[in-house]
Amino acid sequence: MAQPLFANLRILEFGGGAAGPLATRYFADHGATVVRVESRVRPDFIRLLRHVPGDPAGLDGSHMFAMVNVNKLGIALDMSHPRAGEVAARLVDWCDVLAENFAPGTLAKWGLEYTTLAARKPSLIMVSTCLNGQTGPDRHYPGFGGQGSALAGFNHLTGWPDREPLGPYGTITDSLSPRFVALLIASALLHRQRTGQGQYIDLSQVEAGIVCLSENILNFTARGQVLERCGNRSRVAAPHGVFRCAPESTDDDRWIALAVHDDHDWHTLRAVMGDPRWAKDPRFDTMAGRLAHVDELERHIESWTVNFRARELADRLVHAGIDAAVVWNFAELLVDPQLNWRQHFREVEHPVIGRHLCETNALRFSHFSETDFRPAPRLGEHTEYVCRELLSMSAQEYQNLAEAGVFR
Amino acid sequence: MWQDVHAAGSMNLAGFRILDCTEECGYLAGKLLAELGAEVIKVEPPQGDPGRYQPPFIGDSPDPELSVPWLALNTSKFSVTLDLADGKDRSTFLRLVGTADAVLETAGNGARLGPLAHGIDDAELRKANPRIIVCRLSPFGTTGPYAHRRGSDLTVLALGGNLYPTGNPDRAPVRCSLPVTHFHGGIELATATVFALWGRLQTGLAETVDVSQQECLTMPNMTAPLQYPFTGFTGKRVGGGFRGAKAFFRELWPCKDGWISFALRGGPARNPGIQALVAYIRECGMAAPALERDWQNYNHNTISQHEVDAIQDALAAFFQTKTMEELFRVACERNLLLAPAFSAREIVASRQLAARGFFLDVEDPGRQLVLRYPGYFAQTSLGPACVRRPAPRIGEHNDLFLSSLSAPLHET
Repeated sequence: MAQPLFANLRILEFGGGAAGPLATRYFADHGATVVRVESRVRPDFIRLLRHVPGDPAGLDGSHMFAMVNVNKLGIALDMSHPRAGEVAARLVDWCDVLAENFAPGTLAKWGLEYTTLAARKPSLIMVSTCLNGQTGPDRHYPGFGGQGSALAGFNHLTGWPDREPLGPYGTITDSLSPRFVALLIASALLHRQRTGQGQYIDLSQVEAGIVCLSENILNFTARGQVLERCGNRSRVAAPHGVFRCAPESTDDDRWIALAVHDDHDWHTLRAVMGDPRWAKDPRFDTMAGRLAHVDELERHIESWTVNFRARELADRLVHAGIDAAVVWNFAELLVDPQLNWRQHFREVEHPVIGRHLCETNALRFSHFSETDFRPAPRLGEHTEYVCRELLSMSAQEYQNLAEAGVFR
Repeated sequence: MWQDVHAAGSMNLAGFRILDCTEECGYLAGKLLAELGAEVIKVEPPQGDPGRYQPPFIGDSPDPELSVPWLALNTSKFSVTLDLADGKDRSTFLRLVGTADAVLETAGNGARLGPLAHGIDDAELRKANPRIIVCRLSPFGTTGPYAHRRGSDLTVLALGGNLYPTGNPDRAPVRCSLPVTHFHGGIELATATVFALWGRLQTGLAETVDVSQQECLTMPNMTAPLQYPFTGFTGKRVGGGFRGAKAFFRELWPCKDGWISFALRGGPARNPGIQALVAYIRECGMAAPALERDWQNYNHNTISQHEVDAIQDALAAFFQTKTMEELFRVACERNLLLAPAFSAREIVASRQLAARGFFLDVEDPGRQLVLRYPGYFAQTSLGPACVRRPAPRIGEHNDLFLSSLSAPLHET
C-alpha cells in the first residue's frame, strides 16, 4: 500500500455549514492535514444544531457537525481580536490551500484577501465558494442550499406537475458544490506542480448547479421550451415510476422504483406479472404506445405492485433482469449490503456524542485507500497542537497569545 | 460570439489527454475536465454515441447532431469514431490509449460503449500504455453484491436514499426531472481522474478508480441518515413545509408567475428577515392585523396552528400580487431568506449572471448555429473554467487524432 494520496497536503479552512467543509473532506479522508479555524465568538451554525435544546454538551454536541468534519483538526481563533492576524498569517504560510465558504468579503475584512496573500505567497491556492459568487450585484444575497437549489432551477424541476416545486431532499447545491471544489483544488495542485504558481478560485454554487442543468438552459435558449417537472416520468421510457407496495407491519409508506427501458424489458415485466390480460393490450406493445397511454399503464402497474412487499417484489424483478429497486428509507440505507461492501459508512468514537457513523466519498482507488477515520474536532481541540507543532510557536509565544485572549 | 479568450494552454489540466468512453451518466466528467484545459476525446461507435439519439432535438426532427441532452454536456470535447468490436479499430484505439493519460468509461450491467464492454481490460490497456489511468463510473461500483445489477437515475436514487425523503407525504417519492445521479456521479468521476493524475505524479503508479453513483447519492441527504440511530427519523416526506412543535408551516407559495420559498422559521438569525418582509408588505399597502405582532421574540415552536394560519393567509395574499423577480429583488435588497423557484426563463434573464458574464454564445459553424450555454462552472485567476468549443459532430476529429496513429507504438 502506497502512502496516503494527499499525505503531504496542508489545507486551511474557514467557514461553516456543510458545503465548504464537505469539500475538504475529500482530502482529509485521503491523508491531508486539514485545519479548521473556528471561534466561540461566532460559532459555525451547524454546531448549534442539536437534538436536545439546552444540551449540556454545548458547542461540541452537534451530530451534524461531527459527521461532516471527521478527520480534521480544529483551532479556535477569534478573528475579531487585534492579534488574530499574526496567527492567521502564520497559518497561511503553513498551508498549501486556503478554502473558505463565508459570505463574500468576510476574509477580506480580516486582511485575508487573495491578492494580499498571493503577493507574499504566489504558490497559494485559495478557493472561495458561496451561493452567488464573489462578484456581481446579488453577491450578498443571504441564502443557504435551499435557496441555491431554487435559484439554480432544481426546485422548478422536482415534484409533481400539479403541486409545488420541491427540490431534491437535502438542498442539492450543498452536495454538488463540494464535489466541484474538490475537483478544482486537485486540478490547481497539478497546475502548481507544473508551474509553481497558485491561483484563486471563485465557485458560485448557483452557477455550478446551472451548469449541471445545462439541458434545462439549452432547451430554452435553443428551442424556446421551458422544462417543467414531470413527477417520475421519463421522455423515453414507460413505465418509469415509483409504485406503492403492500404495507409492512405499521408502515404503509413502502415503494418500488421501476424502469422499463425498452420493449425487451416490457416483455420480461409482463412475464413476471404473469401476463395479465390488460398487459396484452396492443397499445402497450411499443414504447411509443406505452408513453402515449402512460396514465392508464401506471394505474395497472400499481394495482399489481400493491399486492407485494417491496423487497420481495424487487428481488423478483431484479432476478428477472428488470431495473427495479426498493425505495430505501434512512434506516434501510444504513444496512444496504452494497454500501457496506464498499465500506461507505465508517464508525468513529466522538468524545462527547459517542460512537457515530460518518460517510466517505464514492471513489475507490487501486493503490490508495482512505486513512483511519478520526472524530471531528471539539471547538479549539487542537489549538495548542496546531500552534506548537504545525506553526512551531514557542511555549512562551503560545502562552502570550492565549493570555491575550486570541484563542477563543 | 464564441472565442477561446482564455487559452486552454494556461489552464490547470493543459497537456493531459483523456479518452472519454462514457455513456450518458458520465458525460459531465469529460466536459468539466476539458473546461479545465485537458484535451478530452470522446470515443464513439461509428454511428455515434447512443446518447446522440435522445430527444428532444433542436428543430424537433431526430438528428444525432442536434440532441439537446447530448449537446448540453459534451461541449469542449473532440470526437473520434472507432468500432471497438472491429480488430483494426481496436488496435487503433489501443494506440490512441498509448498517447493518453486516462480513459473514462461507464461500467456495470448494460454498459455497451467502453473498452471493458468490449473485453479490453486493465491489463490490455496497460500493455498499450503502462501509465494509463482508468476511471470507471457505474451505478453501484464494479465489485460487491450489486456489481452486476442494473441501475439508472431512478433506481440509484432509490438505493442511495435520496428518493424516499423527496416529495409530498400523500404521494410517491419523486425525483428531479433531470438526472441528478448523473451530475453527482459525473463530477465525482472527474474528481477521480484528477486525484489519480495527482497520485501518479506522487508515486508513478497508474490507478484504476472505481466510482459508485449509489455512494454519491448518500451525501446529498446532509447526514440525516447517519443521524437515524439518534433521531429515529427515517426520512418521511414533508412536501413544501416544515413542522414546528405545535404547528405545520408552509414553505412554498404561489406568486404571480411561479413559486417562491419562504418560511416562518424563527431564531435570532431569521427573525430580522421576517420583520423586513412585514415592513415591505406594509409599504405595499397590504398590512394585515395578523402580521402585526412581536416579531423580535417570534418562536416557531411556541406559536399555535390557528395563529400560523392567519399569518400565512396574509402572506399568501401578498405573494400573489408579486412576480418571482420582484420578490427576489426585495430579498436581495433587504436580506430576506426568500428564494424563487426559477425556471430556465428567469435564470437566463438573471442580472447577477449577466453581470458575471455567465452565459456564453457558442458559435457552432459545423451546425450553423449559435447556442447560448451556461458558460463556465468556476472562475479562476487563470481564467474561467469555460466552454472552449461546441460539442463535436460524430467523428469530427478523426483526421486530427487518428491519422497520425498509423504506425503502431507498441508493435510486438
